[in-house]
Amino acid sequence: MMRPRASVLWLGVLVAVAAVLPLVSGAFAIDIFIRVLLFAFIGVAWNLMGGYAKQLSLGHAAYFGLGAYTSTLLEINHGVSPWIGMFAGGLVAALASLPIGALCFRLRGPYFAIATIATAQVLMLLFLKFRDFAWGAEGTTLPNLGDAPLMMQFDGKAPYYYIALALLASGLGITRLIERSWMGYYLVAVGEDEDAAEAVGVNATRIKRHVYLISAFLTGLAGTFYVQYIYFIDPNTAFSFNVSVEAALVSIVGGIGTLWGPVLGTVLLEATSAMLQSWLGSLGGVQLTLYSLILIAVILWRPAGLLGVLTEAWDRIVHARAARVREVPLDG
Amino acid sequence: MLATLAQAVVNGLLIGGVYALVSIGVTLIFGVVKVVNFAQGEFVMLGMYISFFLATRAGIDPLVSLLVSMPVLFVVGVLLQHFLIRRVLGLGDMPQIFLTFALSLLLMNVMLLLFTADYRTVHTSYTDAAIDIGPIYVSVAKLIAFVVAMLLSGALWVFLHATDLGKAMRAAAQKPEVAMLMGINTNRVFCVAVGVSLALAGAAGSLLMPFYPAYPMVGQVFVLMAFVAVVLGTLGNVTGALVASLMMGVAESLGIQFIGADSGAIVVFSMLLLTLAVRPNGLFGGWAR
Repeated sequence: MMRPRASVLWLGVLVAVAAVLPLVSGAFAIDIFIRVLLFAFIGVAWNLMGGYAKQLSLGHAAYFGLGAYTSTLLEINHGVSPWIGMFAGGLVAALASLPIGALCFRLRGPYFAIATIATAQVLMLLFLKFRDFAWGAEGTTLPNLGDAPLMMQFDGKAPYYYIALALLASGLGITRLIERSWMGYYLVAVGEDEDAAEAVGVNATRIKRHVYLISAFLTGLAGTFYVQYIYFIDPNTAFSFNVSVEAALVSIVGGIGTLWGPVLGTVLLEATSAMLQSWLGSLGGVQLTLYSLILIAVILWRPAGLLGVLTEAWDRIVHARAARVREVPLDG
Repeated sequence: MLATLAQAVVNGLLIGGVYALVSIGVTLIFGVVKVVNFAQGEFVMLGMYISFFLATRAGIDPLVSLLVSMPVLFVVGVLLQHFLIRRVLGLGDMPQIFLTFALSLLLMNVMLLLFTADYRTVHTSYTDAAIDIGPIYVSVAKLIAFVVAMLLSGALWVFLHATDLGKAMRAAAQKPEVAMLMGINTNRVFCVAVGVSLALAGAAGSLLMPFYPAYPMVGQVFVLMAFVAVVLGTLGNVTGALVASLMMGVAESLGIQFIGADSGAIVVFSMLLLTLAVRPNGLFGGWAR
């Protein structure tokens, strides 16, 4: 598609823009950027499972919530810094993905999706029910320590922005590594046709388990970050079905099974939603009405997503130019 | 103790009848068209709002407005199949799952925009009525819902087994290519199947209205229950879905009675996960996938 040197150049520009963005924008804008980075990161994590291996999970909120609760419990009960808690949360999420995967991988397609919804719901209901363990339905606010970088708390919003940016960058880096490795090819093979992949010697169950582990770990990190950012946790926030939905949505709208798809999708969805919100105020239902219309349009007309549309447009420009060059000798 | 148990079982069976209408719809679409309709619960919700507005604006009893909600949703189902589902058939899991999933999100949020998240209830003459059978208390509204649900399920069974269109539907479900070769217009059969499924969902909505509040997200309660029942009852198996729905109703009711008011859903989801662990092909009808 693009020459390697051109893509390195583009990446450099992108990083430079991302790095200066918080320095030149107001608090409201930074808040939107942080949301974009966070959901793009969750989308990237989902995409490893849903995009490359085509295991369409609708329960990634399970791992988001486990990450969020692990770091919060460690901080409040044992004074552990969320920096450590974040990785502990990722580990808990990754461990939880093993039994959940063992159950859900028995099912394919829509029933896999339903089973993953059920696991996230069960976790939410358990956290609602067992009040002694983790504050029940009321949830809890995190202790406000002021400016405490070691406890992942900051005065301004810019540090949160850079953490989210680092998370997204690492998620993209991991995706890139997997894409290029044997694992990436196996994943795509399993995603295309699981039975055929098994027939040529791919251990589909194992490869799915491994990628689920990575995907859950990353989603767990996102959970910790989110709680640290909003200073509050309860089961309905941590295990919110909307997290599961948005993770899948941004990937599909942007371009499922591609490196940059989830990022493009999040930028599109969050930008339109922010614009709509400043235009109409926060009217319940507007955002998801819009999201679902975009999703239906993508499925019916552009299954390759926004990235597909852009690639197509790019190719058309390049081809048009090439055709113009070729036209002369052909006619003459 | 025994009376409490019997009471919980009766309550569960009665609500299980309504779950059955939703599950049968899901399993019928899956069996014939091979698509899981994630929006089935939202059509129950639409049925509820139709009955709600007919009751509050025109004073029509929800049981009578069944005669409106069922045909309206039948037409919606035919249009849904013809203009949306048909376009994603054979395209793989992603478009099939997320088309109906997007539709579900769309319907919930459009209703939220139009009618807010307020709970809407209809109070009929029989809403609070009850029959006492010994120590057991049977709500009349729920009993009516159960009886009508069973009659509709029976009518569906007769339709599938005794009419040409029903037989064509079962044929198209088993071997779509062969059915097409035998001169069955599969798209027409698919349209009728989705229409009938949605009509059942609409019926469930109208039957619920006398004793259950309508709100934009209400469908989620029923669709998750239906998914569990459909997996439990073996995918695509109508009788299996019916029996499993009644079981789910009883299991949920026992969970509420003996574990706690907030535990019905935990019991139901745990049953799903347990089923998947032990018998991923469901309890009935062997190994059909």
